[in-house]
Amino acid sequence: MATLTFKPKASRSERPANENRWMTGVWNTVALGFAVVMGFPIYWMILTTVKSGKDLLSVNPTFWPTHFSFSSYSTVFSDPNFLPDLENTALITLGSVVLGLAVGFLAAVAVARFNFRGRNFFIVTMLVVQMVPLLSLVIPMYLILVSAGLYDELFGVILAYLVFTIPYVVWTLRSFIVNIPKELDEAAMVDGCTRWGAFFRVVLPLTVPGLITTGVYCWIQAWNEFVIANTMLSSNNKQTSMVWLTGFSASPTHNADYGAQMAGALLVSLPVVILFVIFQKRLASGLTAGAVKG
Amino acid sequence: MSVIDSDRPAAQASRDRKPPRSARSRGGASGSHIPYILIIPAAVVMIGILGYPLFKLFQMSFQNVNSYMVLFAPAFVRYIGFENFSAVLSDPTLWQSVERTVYLTVEVVALSLLIGMGMALLLNRVSPWVKVIVVTVMMFVWSVPAIVTGTLYRWLFAGQGGIIDYICYLLGGKGMLNHDWFANPTQGLYVVVAACMVWGALPFLVIGLNAAMTQVPKELVEASKIDGASPWQSFRHVVIPVIRPFLILVSALSFIWDFQVFGQIWALRENSPEPGYQTIGIYLYVKGFSSSHYSNSAVISLVMILLMLAVLIFYIRQVIKIGAQD
Repeated sequence: MATLTFKPKASRSERPANENRWMTGVWNTVALGFAVVMGFPIYWMILTTVKSGKDLLSVNPTFWPTHFSFSSYSTVFSDPNFLPDLENTALITLGSVVLGLAVGFLAAVAVARFNFRGRNFFIVTMLVVQMVPLLSLVIPMYLILVSAGLYDELFGVILAYLVFTIPYVVWTLRSFIVNIPKELDEAAMVDGCTRWGAFFRVVLPLTVPGLITTGVYCWIQAWNEFVIANTMLSSNNKQTSMVWLTGFSASPTHNADYGAQMAGALLVSLPVVILFVIFQKRLASGLTAGAVKG
Repeated sequence: MSVIDSDRPAAQASRDRKPPRSARSRGGASGSHIPYILIIPAAVVMIGILGYPLFKLFQMSFQNVNSYMVLFAPAFVRYIGFENFSAVLSDPTLWQSVERTVYLTVEVVALSLLIGMGMALLLNRVSPWVKVIVVTVMMFVWSVPAIVTGTLYRWLFAGQGGIIDYICYLLGGKGMLNHDWFANPTQGLYVVVAACMVWGALPFLVIGLNAAMTQVPKELVEASKIDGASPWQSFRHVVIPVIRPFLILVSALSFIWDFQVFGQIWALRENSPEPGYQTIGIYLYVKGFSSSHYSNSAVISLVMILLMLAVLIFYIRQVIKIGAQD
């Protein structure tokens, strides 16, 4: 045994290599088992959407469809509110992301590049307010929107969403901008740029990765938000997709139609799933970099 | 927080070096007003949508606001002192919902941190292709919105045609076919809702903790091994101290997320959670909007904010320290 070559990984160097391989096999099995348990609900959701109604009603559910049927999807698309609500969600999300990024970026530049009285107070406030539960603000916000005439208006919800996008954007972009060396804008200014020129030619382009990460994260937040949308929008064709989904699932016609419910659930989460797949690396670091709230 | 940032690409990491401290302190004579102009939009918006609502919440808790008053008789709104407080705080329903929330939060935070830590450790020992599979599954689970998770779990645990019942039946639980998981709120809350929350929380924890653990210097672990430390000892005394800042962060985040759980329960119980499912967030919402007692709900909101702050105070102090550092 002593002649066996050890793997370079020193942490396991005290064990013989073949025992190592055997243990890796065990760990692999455990990890794959974990992946199966975690992935099963998603598999089941997708499977449910393509099962026929007969399969869904059978006493012994099958783990594979006997034949594929897409009637669940047509049920969802024939719901008159599905597409309008999807459009509303896109508008609200886009509006709150753009506004949040614009307003938050300016403030982030201020706290990252300038020293001014009240700077620390502002930073700390931006952090602590992220811990105020959104639920506790819903009622006063509702009353304010009602008196401002913004109740049941998409713009009201966009404004309300800024309550979680702005602090997050400020906090995350701040660390991005702080890390852009000051020497770069100074060099640009030496080369003849004005301060604004240096800002637009140096700082802004270097912040783009940060803007994308924060934007994607805010997009996901706003797309998934439920409580505010459920409270501030009342007309059926003015709601967001998450509100639509809960209403659709609870409606007498579709209450037992799990195929259609799962198809709807899958469709309304697709925009977020796709973003996650594209930006997964950045999100993993972005979420933890500055967030105190999910 | 550098623990997490450092898995960025190298090009970016080179920018992550701290600039000299003097770099930030510009604000010279020419531009002293610029930072104030830059933060005005953010400050105005935050005061309008956060500061004013918080003030209003406080004000409402001393008034007699309900939906009738707001819609038809705003003139009758008046201050009633501590009446709301005594009404809400003496109502056992509030304390029952607080109790439920605390139990559920403790259960979910403990379970998700334990499983998350275990899987994060495991991911360092598996073959690369297994790690890719696990991380891919995690990303998909992570991307599922809370409302969708709730809807999905209602179907998984359905009494008619639910797959969990069938799997229990296949595994030998003969009486489990057509078992109604939601009939008993204790079971529904601490099994189904908890499963739903742990499932949704794990991807972030596993991926985040694994990334944090890869930052632990290999030499440190080796040195502890050479000094005769058992795997548990080197984990406890080498790995844990290094990832401590991240552990504190994820514990605080898990607490924040789990304490104000709403969407999953709301979707699981089809928009009308029974009293046995009412955590403090649900109770607040039902009291405010289903029974339109805005003022009572404002008191519950204050209780919720205070409870969260009481737990998070240590975390906030630490965060402020970090914030003041750079």
